[in-house]
Amino acid sequence: MSFAVEETVPGRRGIGRALLADPMGLAGLVLVVVFLLMALLAPWIAPYDPIALDVKAKFQPPSAAHWAGTDHLGRDLLSRIIWGARLALGIAITSVGIAGAIGLVLGLIAGYGPRWLDSILVLIFDSMSSLPMIFFALAVITVLGPGTTTLIIVIVLVSFPAYARLIRTQTLALSGADFILAERAMGAGAGRIIFCHLLPNVVGPLVILICMDIPVVIMLEAGLSYLNLGVKPPSPSWGNILSEGYNALRQAPHVVVVAGVPLVLATLGFTFLGEGLRDVLDPRGAGRRWG
Amino acid sequence: MSAVLDLARVSVALPLGGFLSRARLPILMDVSLSVGRGESVALVGESGSGKTTLARAVMGLQAVSGGSIALDGQAVEGAAGHARLRRAAAMMFQDATASLSPRLTVGYLVTEPFRIHGVALPDPEGMARELLAKVGLPPAMARRYPHELSGGQARRVGVARALALKPRLVIADEPTAGLDVSVQAEVLNLMADLRAEMGLAYLIITHNLALVRHVADRVVVLYLGRVVEKGPTAQVFAAPAHPYTASLIAAEPRPDPRQRRMDLAIRGEVPSVLRRPSGCEFHTRCPMAREVCRVTAPDLAPVGAGRQARCHFADQRKDQQGEQHAVEHR
Amino acid sequence: MSVLSVEGLSVSYRVLGGRLQAVRDVTLAVGRGEVLGIMGESGCGKSTLAAAMIGLLPQGAEVAAGAIRLNGTDMLRLSGEEKRRLRGQRIAMVFQDPMTAFNPVLTIGRQLADFAGAHGGVKGAAEIAGMLERVGIPDPGRCLRRYPHELSGGMRQRVAIAAALLVRPDVLIADEPTTALDVTMEAQIIHLLRDLRSSFDGAIVVVTHHLGVIAELCDRVAVMYAGEVVEEAGVDALFRDPRHPYTRALLSCDPAVVMPGSGHLPTIGGRIPDLMALPAGCAFAARCGMAEAGCAAPVPRHQEAGRSVLCHRSAA
Repeated sequence: MSFAVEETVPGRRGIGRALLADPMGLAGLVLVVVFLLMALLAPWIAPYDPIALDVKAKFQPPSAAHWAGTDHLGRDLLSRIIWGARLALGIAITSVGIAGAIGLVLGLIAGYGPRWLDSILVLIFDSMSSLPMIFFALAVITVLGPGTTTLIIVIVLVSFPAYARLIRTQTLALSGADFILAERAMGAGAGRIIFCHLLPNVVGPLVILICMDIPVVIMLEAGLSYLNLGVKPPSPSWGNILSEGYNALRQAPHVVVVAGVPLVLATLGFTFLGEGLRDVLDPRGAGRRWG
Repeated sequence: MSAVLDLARVSVALPLGGFLSRARLPILMDVSLSVGRGESVALVGESGSGKTTLARAVMGLQAVSGGSIALDGQAVEGAAGHARLRRAAAMMFQDATASLSPRLTVGYLVTEPFRIHGVALPDPEGMARELLAKVGLPPAMARRYPHELSGGQARRVGVARALALKPRLVIADEPTAGLDVSVQAEVLNLMADLRAEMGLAYLIITHNLALVRHVADRVVVLYLGRVVEKGPTAQVFAAPAHPYTASLIAAEPRPDPRQRRMDLAIRGEVPSVLRRPSGCEFHTRCPMAREVCRVTAPDLAPVGAGRQARCHFADQRKDQQGEQHAVEHR
Repeated sequence: MSVLSVEGLSVSYRVLGGRLQAVRDVTLAVGRGEVLGIMGESGCGKSTLAAAMIGLLPQGAEVAAGAIRLNGTDMLRLSGEEKRRLRGQRIAMVFQDPMTAFNPVLTIGRQLADFAGAHGGVKGAAEIAGMLERVGIPDPGRCLRRYPHELSGGMRQRVAIAAALLVRPDVLIADEPTTALDVTMEAQIIHLLRDLRSSFDGAIVVVTHHLGVIAELCDRVAVMYAGEVVEEAGVDALFRDPRHPYTRALLSCDPAVVMPGSGHLPTIGGRIPDLMALPAGCAFAARCGMAEAGCAAPVPRHQEAGRSVLCHRSAA
């Protein structure tokens, strides 16, 4: 039973404002913005060239000249972390964005299209997601060779089925809704129904899921790079830095710490932001946000 | 002059869904009815009577398994026929709020029919204002979202949207469901005004008999997907020819504590369409059922001018009631 | 002696930008064997009042003043645990959509047994079946083996009533009990509740916006407007001789009472006032045909034999 007080529906509050009111969401937003700025402004804010060698100054602990110290080849770690943010976010956002777009389109088609097409698409989604992710990634890398492009392809292939299935389920649930029937009764075509009426109602959950997936992708990139299967070595990937630091753990423990901190912070940032967005966007949560 | 809408022996059957099974479950059977120009016809029945299915079949949202639908005397067939129908007829849904796309503004929603049918719309905002004014809503409402509307306001937006392309026929599914008494009266007045002003014909689907008495010229009563009675509203209410109609009228709660009914006119509930009773399908609940009703299904037969009923004893009943009626009014 | 009495109850909600006064200074009482109807339109506070009566106010609701006494005990002063016990044993509720009251994955029999066991001591299957029979379920044994979705709306409402009665409550609160049902089923549920009034020794409170249900079922009626009880009277007196202009307007615009063919139905112009900025005087004045300058002053409650009216002009 609803005790909601009729006639007093609160106006649509800005998503931004609602997010700011939630401490977790706010923390997530701040972290994500910081990392995005780091990635965008890397050429200007990095104090040194991230791949310039200075073997004489190797394994220096943090100092005034090198705030985060240097690595085994004397490269400035802070600069490498900043450039690494550009690489990590670039890969994560590109790959998840492409996967999201593919998932959105296929999910809408599966959910609103003819049943036979739906069956075929669902079969594809299911078989794709039944492949074990790491082995699948290793197989693709073996065929295409390691590198940034390969990494993006792997991530897209691994993650789009989940997005497509989410969108398909939502679309299916909505396609019997009164407002879709009303649109059909007015003579609206499939294109209009999908793009004007279904799409705006299904993207919310997708944005949330994508946001929560970005840290997974950052971790995957770091993990594969750590195994030397991702970004090729001179490039300042967080995974590479971590891997190199691990090799010199006894000599210079600060390298691992310096590479680990942004990884953890970025993961937390995107996860908090995703959770904050879910609370704000999810209509079922709307009830407890007022009163 | 041909009717705006003409249904001839329309049937709808849904597939039962077993693997390779061709079995179909009849939902509507041989429903014939017509709505004349500017006429208001009410379709009455309990849930499960198939009244909403009929509305959907007319709008082409539900495939028809038999019979034909004609608009202005021309058969509605194929995609072109449905496009013509959807331009000339509009539907108002039972849940007005749910029938509005949630992420779009009222202003967009009321002008959407123009976009759908590719009708030139030089001034969408002006048109939105005009349509909203027609249903008695302030222009500022155009910027609202559906969830910000009250039940009555959403209903008015639904009416505005239905009127956008100046239809000849409006199919209204429970137009007053879920509304407060005073708002019900407002919506009914609005519908009456628009009918007078625009020459609209209505097909009103409802189980609210008070509503039927006020707005319908003729009434069609459905039971388990079949027409059991039809005729002019005043006559049907004064002397129902089918016992089902009579018990529906008797079951309606009356807002007068001195007219409480101490006995029940009808017991039990509508049987499942999966287990249709034999003979007359109403015999399981009929207060006057006899042996013949269990065995033989009655036909929809004329009972006086312009009236039809599907009952073995329709004539008898009508005569009796006519007498009673005369006595009461003496 | 009344079983349940509400004394000067005011409930408000904290919302964005202020306080929304949902229930204002409501005083009501209902005795054993009596059916009290609470009637009003959306936004009048009837659902909040029903929720307060059963001690289930939603989050954000605050009782600003007043008491709700069940057999003399003020429920608002009880702890959560005591309130919960009372809710199961002495006061029960039937909702508009009975589907929401049941757990979809358990059989009706299992749920009724659990419910009765938790609140009223263990009851045998025979007693439960007997209760189902009493509320008019044709084959109780079969019904007990069913799941909620296998029953029709009317049957579910009957089971909900049976569940409520199993604990032998002092008060049964029914919130829009027939709104989701067809006319024929509505008539049967009204009939059932009316039968129960005589056989079950408790009070029934029916909350509805449907004038027909009130007239068919209730002994006394409280009409609510903008959070206040604007008129309270015996059902016959209220329908025959409504004193408050709002009651009069409401009764006259019901399509069921207006003669067909009489053209336009009467309506009540205007809207309910903003519950966050209520006027000091009569809340209905802005829409009232009889309003005059004096209506802006706070309204005294006018009492006379068996009825009370909240209107400056009720004495006139």
